[in-house]
Amino acid sequence: MTRHFVPFAAALLAGALAATPVLAEDDAAARDQRWTELRQDVFGDRAVEQSKDVVALDAPVRAEDAALVPMAIKTADPAWIKGLTLIIDENPGPVAARVTFGPAGDAGLLKLRTRVNTYTNVHAVAETTDGKLFDTVRFVKASGGCSAPAGSSEEEAMKGMGEMRLKVRDEITPGKSAQATLMIRHPNFNGMQMDQITRAYTPARYIKEIKVTYNDKDVFSLVSDISLSTDPVIEFGFKPEAKGQIKVAATDTEGGHWEKTFDVPTQSN
Amino acid sequence: MFRLMRAARLAAGALVIATAAAHAAGGPGSASEPDGLWTGPMQSYTPSTLKGAEVVDADGVAALAAKGDAVLIDVAPADRKPPTLPEGALWAPQHRSIPGSAWFPGAGPGDLSPAQEAALKARVLELAGGRLDRPMVTFCHPDCWGSWNMGKRLLGWGFRNVFWFPQGREGWQESDRPTAVVKQDSVWAAAAKAEAGPAAPQ
Repeated sequence: MTRHFVPFAAALLAGALAATPVLAEDDAAARDQRWTELRQDVFGDRAVEQSKDVVALDAPVRAEDAALVPMAIKTADPAWIKGLTLIIDENPGPVAARVTFGPAGDAGLLKLRTRVNTYTNVHAVAETTDGKLFDTVRFVKASGGCSAPAGSSEEEAMKGMGEMRLKVRDEITPGKSAQATLMIRHPNFNGMQMDQITRAYTPARYIKEIKVTYNDKDVFSLVSDISLSTDPVIEFGFKPEAKGQIKVAATDTEGGHWEKTFDVPTQSN
Repeated sequence: MFRLMRAARLAAGALVIATAAAHAAGGPGSASEPDGLWTGPMQSYTPSTLKGAEVVDADGVAALAAKGDAVLIDVAPADRKPPTLPEGALWAPQHRSIPGSAWFPGAGPGDLSPAQEAALKARVLELAGGRLDRPMVTFCHPDCWGSWNMGKRLLGWGFRNVFWFPQGREGWQESDRPTAVVKQDSVWAAAAKAEAGPAAPQ
């Protein structure tokens, strides 16, 4: 009996495979379902409210380079924001960054550069000081960013690992927040990139934590995953005094640890 | 623009390859057709043709799919979990493809074991309902030899209507058509699991 049934079932299956055009509504439903699952994984049963008034996300509709997709998270009332989470839904490691702000930090504008694996929703979730979660979403068209090689060779990409630069973008006025851009030299190998000659995967090695302080007060700490681009670039806000020092500490998944202190404003002759 | 960036990046890699291996790479589609299956780097410039098969673009695939009897075979590799993922980090891969596709991760390499080759052939014939005149469409990503190899295999097994879609999932997305989340073909997954060795799906 079953012997007769198998070819019939196979034919049915083949028919089903061949004729299932997916409507845009179905696609939206599948993407919502993905977010529901991810939200549960990251925030558990906590309520997450959609609100562009609290948190906004600037991301290119169509990215020029999927391995370097800029994301800018803005919050309307920075003093009310304790942390930000950036989630790239379709990336296999979706949580690109979890940022917690300290007393010397300013959550007004945070910029990151990310890898995007395929066309995806991107969520920016803000957590307020009173424990509420607000979310905003953008659809980004980019593809292939996770497997894109970090450079011409593994050796080349590892050169100068851990070197840092910091650029303060604003005039320092005590009591007024300023923006700074931090650049860290690191290949951020995500384990999904293949060496073109050996056909072997370059072992994963990426920055998992960055801590920034100003005059020993926390600006922010960032926990990252495989979705930050090679040579991470992070723009953040901080609350300067007349004179001070920004200290950066970065740790990677292989136990690499780098620290650097920058004078703010920059000491010049 | 994204294609340009990707091409530039591949070209940088290709320069290295050119000195290490015999095949020079002039750009996407510039490789010449090997006689048999390709066993070199899976992600590198492919030929622009596949003897015996028809090369199609996204519109062509959409037209074939709309007719209803084409079998779409995606051989894109599965996302590989980094072994050093920190504890507590979220790993939640899902595969998006052309709606209705059967996904065979790890079926692209030219050097599958005889057991895998047999399992692949049996499963694909089953999906085609045993009809060698069934339109068969193979794809993965741009500059991916896996789909070229799959097309070559289909021809070798006697399929007469083989279509190769070299732009793959990215080409499909760029034509602004929706993708769907697809699971690994269950029969192929079981066969690959039984094999579990160096040639298991990536």
